[in-house]
Amino acid sequence: MTTQGVILIDLMALGFLLLILNLVRKHDLVIGYALLWMVSVIGLMALVTFTPLQDFATKAVGAVYPASALSLLAFVFIFIVLIYFSVQLSVMSSRQIELIQAIAILELKLQEKANLTQEKARTPDSAQY
Amino acid sequence: MPQDNKPKDDRITTPHVLVIIPAFNEQKSIADVLLKLRAAAPAFDRLVVNDGSYDQTAQVVQALGEKQLRLAANLGYGAALQTGMKYALQQSYEIVVCLDADGQHRPEDVPAVVQALLDKDADMVIGSRYCDGRPYNAPIDRRIGQLFFSHLTRLLVGQRIYDTSSGFKALRSATCKNLIRMTFVDFHVEMIVRLVMLGEKIIEYPIVVYERSAGHSMYSFASIFSYPLKTLVLTLVTAIDVLLARRSQ
Repeated sequence: MTTQGVILIDLMALGFLLLILNLVRKHDLVIGYALLWMVSVIGLMALVTFTPLQDFATKAVGAVYPASALSLLAFVFIFIVLIYFSVQLSVMSSRQIELIQAIAILELKLQEKANLTQEKARTPDSAQY
Repeated sequence: MPQDNKPKDDRITTPHVLVIIPAFNEQKSIADVLLKLRAAAPAFDRLVVNDGSYDQTAQVVQALGEKQLRLAANLGYGAALQTGMKYALQQSYEIVVCLDADGQHRPEDVPAVVQALLDKDADMVIGSRYCDGRPYNAPIDRRIGQLFFSHLTRLLVGQRIYDTSSGFKALRSATCKNLIRMTFVDFHVEMIVRLVMLGEKIIEYPIVVYERSAGHSMYSFASIFSYPLKTLVLTLVTAIDVLLARRSQ
């Protein structure tokens, strides 16, 4: 990769890092997810900047060109992250369902209790007549 | 809390029975179902699970003075049923009946299905359109699915259930405990496979099912493809899950 390309990618990665830090600062991103993205961005920067690391990754995945190795690694990374977020969404969806169910049951129980109290309040009055 | 209505049939007075009716935009049919159910099974309590309806379903149910659980969002048929089951367990009901709100099932059949549960000492009774040698009278796409899943139950658990997609069921509260935490599509094949593998006794009882008179089916065009796939995957996962649980024990 040319020096110009390395500088461009590193600058973009730095921009991403700043964006992530700002999102955490504004409480728009949970620190757990922020760490995941920060580690990923720093990993990408290291891979692009240090040629021996690039060569090692290329050989490790059996690719001929470093660009192919980077594409493969990026694809694997995106795939894993997507599965991870699908799991997170499923967990949140299950929790949301449980909450909605619990609220509905509580509301009905409260209403039943209120009806019972009303009936009890009426009973002594009617007993007097 | 169980209602104090006088029972019609003495044989089925002992257990507290709750009829759960999941409803999503069923303003045109829900009143008819509830009134017929009141007349047919006055001893049984009724609970409408309003699954985030945005029509007048809630108002109709309220006007009739019936109990309803109002879900803040549309959770789907399975989760709506689960909510009703959770309520039934918390209120110590002994038997739960699931009935569709679209008027396809005859509320008059409810006492008979509950009686079958008690007489046959079963854990669940499925109101069935196809048992007793009755033909699969459905459009070709549904018929293929019904036959496939019916044979799948025999293949997986050794018991053929002819009507795996029936929404009319009666089950004991102990059986509900096995279902309230599971992620099901529609409480159909995956539930049957799970229960039979857990040693529960499931039988079918012949019922009559009418065509939907109002409203829209919960199955969209896309579900023709997604429903069988989801159900198949969930059924297989359920079978593997029970097998693994058995092995770990």
